[in-house]
Amino acid sequence: MKNFELVEPSTIDEAVALLDPEDTGVRAIAGGTALMLMMKTRLFQPTRLVSLRRLNGALRTVRTDENGGLRIGALTTLTELEHSPLVAKAVPVMSRALRTLSNVRIRNVATIGGHLAHGDPHMDLPPILLTLGARVRAVSSRGERWIDVADLFLGYYQTAIARDELIAEVDVPLQPVNVHTWYAKFTALSADDWPTVGTAVWYRLESGVIAEARVAVSAATERPMRVPSAEAALTGSSPTVQMFAKAADAAADEVHPLADIRGSAAYKREMVRVHVRRALEHASRARSTEAE
Amino acid sequence: MTIPARFTEPADTTVEAPPKAKRKAAVRREVGRSIPRLESHAKVDGSAEYIYHLRLPGMLQGKICRSTVPHGRIVRIDASAALAIEGVHAVITGEDIRTLIPDPYYGPAFHDQPILAIGKVRYVGEPVAVVLAADLHVAEEAADQVVVEYEPLEPVFDEVAATKPGAPIIHDSLRPAGMFPDLQYLKGRSGTNVALDARVLHGDVEKGFAEADQVFENVFRSRKVVHATFEPTVSLAELNGSNGLTIHTSSQSPSYVRAEVSRLLGWPENRVRVRTAFLGGSFGAKLYIKLEALVAACALLVRKPVRIGLTMEEEFYTITKHGATVRIKTGMAKDGRIVAREVETWWNGGAYADIGPRVSQKSGFTAAGPYDIENVSLINYAVYTNDPPAGALRGFGISQIVWAYECQNDIIARSLGIDPLEFRRRNILHDGRPHATGTIMTNAEIDEVLDRLSDRMHWDVLFDHGSGPVRRGRGLAIGFKACIAPTTSVAVVNVYGDGSCCVSCSTVDMGQGSDTAMAQIAAETLGISTETVRVIHPDTDVTPYDMATLGSRSTYHMGNAVRLAAEDARAQLLRIAAATLQTDIEELEYRDGAVISRSGARMTMRGLMLARFGMQAGTVIGMGTFTPPYTKPDPRTGQSPQITPYWMLAGAAAEIEVDTETGRIRVTKLVNVGDVGCAINPAIAKRQLNGAGTMQLGFTLFEEMRFNEGQVINASLADYKIPGMLDVPEDLSAELVEFPHEHGPFGAKGVGETGMFSVSPAIANALCDAIGVRIMELPLTPERVLRAIRESENRPLESE
Ligand SMILES: Cc1cc2nc3c(=O)[nH]c(=O)nc-3n(C[C@H](O)[C@H](O)[C@H](O)COP(=O)(O)OP(=O)(O)OC[C@H]3O[C@@H](n4cnc5c(N)ncnc54)[C@H](O)[C@@H]3O)c2cc1C
Repeated sequence: MKNFELVEPSTIDEAVALLDPEDTGVRAIAGGTALMLMMKTRLFQPTRLVSLRRLNGALRTVRTDENGGLRIGALTTLTELEHSPLVAKAVPVMSRALRTLSNVRIRNVATIGGHLAHGDPHMDLPPILLTLGARVRAVSSRGERWIDVADLFLGYYQTAIARDELIAEVDVPLQPVNVHTWYAKFTALSADDWPTVGTAVWYRLESGVIAEARVAVSAATERPMRVPSAEAALTGSSPTVQMFAKAADAAADEVHPLADIRGSAAYKREMVRVHVRRALEHASRARSTEAE
Repeated sequence: MTIPARFTEPADTTVEAPPKAKRKAAVRREVGRSIPRLESHAKVDGSAEYIYHLRLPGMLQGKICRSTVPHGRIVRIDASAALAIEGVHAVITGEDIRTLIPDPYYGPAFHDQPILAIGKVRYVGEPVAVVLAADLHVAEEAADQVVVEYEPLEPVFDEVAATKPGAPIIHDSLRPAGMFPDLQYLKGRSGTNVALDARVLHGDVEKGFAEADQVFENVFRSRKVVHATFEPTVSLAELNGSNGLTIHTSSQSPSYVRAEVSRLLGWPENRVRVRTAFLGGSFGAKLYIKLEALVAACALLVRKPVRIGLTMEEEFYTITKHGATVRIKTGMAKDGRIVAREVETWWNGGAYADIGPRVSQKSGFTAAGPYDIENVSLINYAVYTNDPPAGALRGFGISQIVWAYECQNDIIARSLGIDPLEFRRRNILHDGRPHATGTIMTNAEIDEVLDRLSDRMHWDVLFDHGSGPVRRGRGLAIGFKACIAPTTSVAVVNVYGDGSCCVSCSTVDMGQGSDTAMAQIAAETLGISTETVRVIHPDTDVTPYDMATLGSRSTYHMGNAVRLAAEDARAQLLRIAAATLQTDIEELEYRDGAVISRSGARMTMRGLMLARFGMQAGTVIGMGTFTPPYTKPDPRTGQSPQITPYWMLAGAAAEIEVDTETGRIRVTKLVNVGDVGCAINPAIAKRQLNGAGTMQLGFTLFEEMRFNEGQVINASLADYKIPGMLDVPEDLSAELVEFPHEHGPFGAKGVGETGMFSVSPAIANALCDAIGVRIMELPLTPERVLRAIRESENRPLESE
C-alpha cells in the first residue's frame, strides 16, 4: 500500500470540497468495511481518503418527516437502523433483513450511505429500498439533487453518484395502506455470507386484488433490479399460490444471473424462482401496512 | 552438585498401569476437574502474548513476491524497480540465499522445498523473492514491482491425472529427509509425481472378493480446504551475539525448527534458539518449516532482525488440507459381514511434500475403518501436483478416509436392508482382534461409542422424515485414528524454594488448553492446586525437546513426561525428608508444599530447602522422558505388531433438514462422541470435540478452495467462508467415553482431532436418509445437493 492522505472534515461542505472528480484515488470513507476489502486486494489504491466520521450529528439520525416518511442520515450504522423503533414501525421488512445482514461486527460500523454508494450487487438493502420507492439526497459543491434508488444502480459496482458527490440522506416514503412486503435472503455458503440471491417483493391490495406490484432481485444479477415481467404477472390478479408461482417463473426467465463461486447461472436462476415465490407467499401471510 | 534426574529409556518406557477398577477409584483433586483455562483472563484483557504482535528494535519487514504461474522456469528476476523505491533495504532471491546456504531445500519428508524458488516454480503463490523494508507498506508496494519472467511449463492439478504416464513431472528427483524414524523408509525417486506408495496387505483380498456374495465399489472425493487460523503464520529472526540466531515464531514444532534451521545453516543446534508464544489457532498449519528458514536466511544476509507475517490471503498459498480421491471396493457376505475391502487413495499433496507422505501412510493404513475384516488391501499414493502444498490439518487425512468408508458402509447397509447402526455393530473390530496392520486392538471403546450415539440419537425411536419441501434425515458414522509413533516428549518440573512450581515443556498452547492440562497433571502429582502452577512456553534454550504439538499426541506423550517429571521431583523431596527425619520413604507423603509422615511429623518446603541446600532457598528439578514403543511396519505389507501407542475412536451423528428446492442443508442436531481414555479436564475435552465438529461442519457443507489454473479464486475470508455462530447446530453436544487407557497419564488419550473424523459422512448419510440422494464429493454445497436431487428426478439443471 502506498502512502495516502487521510482527512477528517467536520462539515459536509468541507467534505465535498475535499473530493476531487479528476482523481480516482480520492474517495469518501464511512464505515470502511467495503473500502478496506478493496484496499487489501489492491483493487483500490487511495491517494486521499475523506473520512466522514466527524459528520455524525444530523447525518446520523433517523427521523420521520412532515409527510410521514422516514429520513435516514447517510452515516447511520446498520446496527442503529436494525434497532430503530421508527424503522421497525414504518418498514418492518427492513428491520428484519438487517438482522441477517452479515454479522454484528460489520453492522456496528457499516453505514447506510456506504452500503448504497458502494454499488456492490450483493447487498441486502438495495432491493428492499427499490420496492419501497426510496430515494437518496446527493450533495456536492455544485448543489444537491434527489436520485431515486431505481436510478441509482447503473451496473456492476457502478452508481449514479458522481465522484464529487456524497449521499447525505435516504428518504423512505410513507407506505400506502394494504401493502404486503417481504425480503428473502438466500446464502449458499455460511449463514452470515453475502446473499447468493436476494429478492424483495411489495404489493398493494385493493379489494383483494393486487393493484400494484414491485419485485426486485439482487446478488444473482449484475445490479439490484426491478423485474417488470413478474410485476406485470401479479398486477390485477388475486394473491394466490398459483399466481405467485407464475410471477416467480417470469422473474426466473427474465433475469440474467452471473456465475461465481456461490453458484452457477443456472442454479441462481432456480434460486430466483424459488425465492421470488417464497417471498410472495411470506408477504401474503405478513401483516399489511395499516392507515395511521 | 549433581541433580538427580530420571530419564526413562525408550526401550523400557512402560508406564506402570494399575488395573482399570483401581484407577477409577483413585481420589483425584486436580485431574478430572473442569478448571477454567489458566490463560483465560490474559486472552480477554489482551495481555496474552502472540508472536504476530512482536516488534523488534531495528527490525525490517519482509514482503514475499509470489509466483503467478503454476509451473514454469524462472527466466529472469529484475528487482531494479523495487530497489529504486525509497525505503527498500534489500530484495532477496533464491540465488542470494544460496550464497549463505548452498543447499537451501527443506522438508520433513523430502528435502524438496527451496527457501525461495530456484530455477523453477511449482505453484501459483510460491515465494520467489522477498523485499525487505523498515515500513511494511513500502515492502508491499515494492514486492509488486519485482519483475519475474517465466517460461511456462505444462501444469497438472488433478491427483489421479498426475500419476498417469505422460503427466508433467514436477520434481526431477526426490531426496528423502531422514529426520523422522517413521518416514525413514522413503526412497529417493525420479521421473514420477508419486512421492510414496504405501501398502497394507492383510489376508487375501482377491480370494475375499471371489467368495463374497456381493461386491460394492465407489469413488469418493474431498476438495482442498484451509486451516484459516485467526493468527496468520509469522516468524521473526534476529542475530544473537556474534554467532547465534533467535527465531520467534508461531510454530507448533519449535524443536523441529531448531534442528532443521541448524541443518540448513550447517550449525550446531545450540546456536539456534527458537521460541513461541500462544498461537492464535494452528490445526497443523504451523508445523515443520514455514517462514522460519526464510527469516533466518534474510536476517543473516542483511545482519538485521527480520519479520515476515503473512496476511490471511497469503495463508491460502502456504499450506492446505489434502484433496483426496478414494476408490473403495468392499465384498460382503449375505449375513452382513464385510469379508474383503480394497482401498486405493490418491492424496493431492500439491507442489511440495511437506508432511504429505506421513498423512498418506498414517491415515492410509486405517482406510478399511475400525472393522474386523479378514482380507484387506490398502494402497496410498502421495502425489505431487501444481496446487499449493498440502500438509497436516487436524486429523492428518483421517476425515478424507472416513468420508469414503463410512459413506460406503451406509450405501451397503441400505442396499442390504440392514439398519446402519446394526451394520456397524456386526462388523466392528473388538479389543483383542488384529487390525489390518497386524497390531492388536486394545483400549479402544468402539462398542461404547456406538451405544452412546444410539442413546443420544434415540436411534430406536421412529424418526419423522417430514413432508413438503423440507425433509428431515438422520445419519451416523464412526471413525478412528492411530496416534503417530514413535515420538518423544521431555519435560522438566522445577519446584522452587517456596514450593511453587513451573513446568517447562515444548508443547505449544495453540488454543487447545495444553497449558491447563499440563498444570493439572503436575498439580495432581505434586498435591498442589493447578492454579498455582506456571507453564513455561516453548523456548529451545530453556524447554527440553518435544517432537511437536500435533496429532493429538501431547496429552498422552507430554502428559506422561510431565507426570514422570513431577514424580521425580516429588521423589527427590521425599528423599530429602526421609534422610532428615530418619524414616522410610514409604512413610512419607508430599502434599500442599510440605512432607508429612504417617507418624505426624511435618517438613515444610523451607525446611526441605534448608536440609538440602543449607539455606531456605534452592530448587528441585524433576525430569521426565516418554517414548512409547513402536515397531516399523514391513514396507511391503504394512504389517507391524505395534504400530501405534493408542487408537482414538470417534463417532458422530446428525439430524438435518434439507430444503429440496434449494439444496441447502441445515444441521439441527450434531452429536460428537469421543473415546478419550480419561478427560484431564472434561470441559476442555468437550470443547475440543465440539470445536472440531464445527470445523468439520464447515468442511462438510461449504468450505472449498476454488481454483482457476492453479490460482485460488477465493483466497480470503470474504469469499472462503467458515462457519459462523448461526451455522452452529441448535443442538450441538459432545460426549466423552472414559475408560482409562492403561498407559495414558491418569488414563488419558489425545482428543484434539477426534471430533473431526465422522462428521462429514454422518451428514451425507443423513442427507441420503432424508431424500435418498447420495453425494460422493465434499463439500455438500446447496448447488451440488440440488443438482443431485434434480438428476434423481430426471430433470437435471443446465450445466452452466
Ligand atoms: C465480511 C463482510 C460481509 C458482508 N456481508 C454483507 C451482507 O450479507 N449483506 C449486505 O448487504 N452487506 C454485506 N456486507 C457489506 C456491508 O454492508 C457494506 O460493506 C457496508 O454497507 C458498506 O458500508 P461502509 O460504511 O462500511 O462503507 P465504506 O466501506 O466506508 O464505503 C463503501 C463505498 O461507499 C463510498 N461511500 C461511503 N459513504 C458514502 C457517502 N455517504 N456518500 C458517497 N459515497 C460514500 C466509499 O467511498 C466507498 O466507495 C458485508 C461486508 C463485509 C466486510
